[in-house]
Amino acid sequence: MSRKLAVGLIAAALPFTAAAAPESFTIDTYHTFPYFEVVHLGTSVIRGHFQKITGKMVLDTAAKSGTIELAVPTGTLTTGDNDKGSRPRARDEHMRSPDFFNVAEFPTMSYKGKATKFNGDAPAAVEGELTLLGVTKPLTLTMERWKCGPDPRTQGKRYFCGGNATGAFNRSDFGMKFIVGPVSDEVKLWISIEAFRD
Amino acid sequence: MQEMFANPAVQGAVAPFIAGLAVAALLERFRLGGLAVVAAFATAVYFIAGFTFAPLTATRKIILLGLAAPVAGIVIDFAFRPTRFGATLLALAGAAAAAWIFWPVLAQKDWARGLLLGGTAALAAAWTVGFSQTRLAGDGVRAGAAGLALGAGSGAAAILGASLTYGLYGIAVAAGSGAFLLLQMITGKRRHAGATFMLAAAVITILFAAAAMILAQLPWYAVLALALVPVAASLPVPAGAPVWLQAVLLSIYGFVVAGIACALAWQAG
Repeated sequence: MSRKLAVGLIAAALPFTAAAAPESFTIDTYHTFPYFEVVHLGTSVIRGHFQKITGKMVLDTAAKSGTIELAVPTGTLTTGDNDKGSRPRARDEHMRSPDFFNVAEFPTMSYKGKATKFNGDAPAAVEGELTLLGVTKPLTLTMERWKCGPDPRTQGKRYFCGGNATGAFNRSDFGMKFIVGPVSDEVKLWISIEAFRD
Repeated sequence: MQEMFANPAVQGAVAPFIAGLAVAALLERFRLGGLAVVAAFATAVYFIAGFTFAPLTATRKIILLGLAAPVAGIVIDFAFRPTRFGATLLALAGAAAAAWIFWPVLAQKDWARGLLLGGTAALAAAWTVGFSQTRLAGDGVRAGAAGLALGAGSGAAAILGASLTYGLYGIAVAAGSGAFLLLQMITGKRRHAGATFMLAAAVITILFAAAAMILAQLPWYAVLALALVPVAASLPVPAGAPVWLQAVLLSIYGFVVAGIACALAWQAG
């Protein structure tokens, strides 16, 4: 009886254990969003996010390695201010202009990284490169709450991983120099990530 | 001090005006007072974006052309006699510059939209450069008034089109042109403008207006309206009127047309 119980427990736990080979994942676009925040006039924190993101991920927990590639259509940016009211333009329109993200000329922002630190089976840090406004610079993301397992929404038929990634960069490094000071140079990133195993 | 230089009003207007005034006063004796425009523009570039040209974006291409225009202008002024053929060649160069700057962006749009925006940019650049060179470059007061109104108009229109950076560059050209004009108003003497002044003022303002249309949200018809500012600056003024009065009248003519362009931009928002 106790042997059957042990076999059952092992079988149930299998999806959570280290995979034997690299597994590829596709980003779940409905639960993956890059958020950003800047300090406005040295006081409040203004947050925004991109409403769409696509990407792929490869994870080999046995070998403690992994890669991630993300592509963000910059035109999907929103800060919650898209009604200009009595102003010339809404903040979201301004953010899409050449003053900030220049979406007409640079419609995509991308990130490519490799997992370099693991906490057990979970990636803890990803070192990679962010390409924004045609400029590529290193960016390290710290991973939190990473977990893999059967997707409860499909009664375990699909296998998925998810967690949060945080990081920060100076926008002026990418040529986004408009009113650095009144709007902070440092941009903090917070990305919710979920991905389904292919 | 650092806080002061971070102020957009200082970056786009005050510092460029001082630089333009100094250059106009110092270089006038060499018939190079028209360099006031590029001095003002370069000052604004220094404070706003810096002289970085990689990657070579549309904005940086315009900055590059804006800085190169007075060099070409000096060659034209000192090595060639002004002719209609020469102005036509400059107009064609203006259209080619617009194509070079905006083609990578226009190629990503559907053909009808790309054709409308690209055609507007090329036409406006060709017209503004060609007409300014033919009708305004030979008269320092008309050229100064045109630069002032083109700069202020393209600056305000760009801000309404959602780009404060382009707005500041336009205002910087207005500040440099204003400095050039102010010196003529104070001394009561017309100064040499030539292609050294007019080419830079026309190229920078109309290309930034076109950029505000293609990369931000300035409507195409506002850009065409801005291209008519040089026509306003060519309208007749009392020949016997003092220089300051002619400068004021011509600037008002230019501001009326620039104001129409801005009203169109505001309504489209």
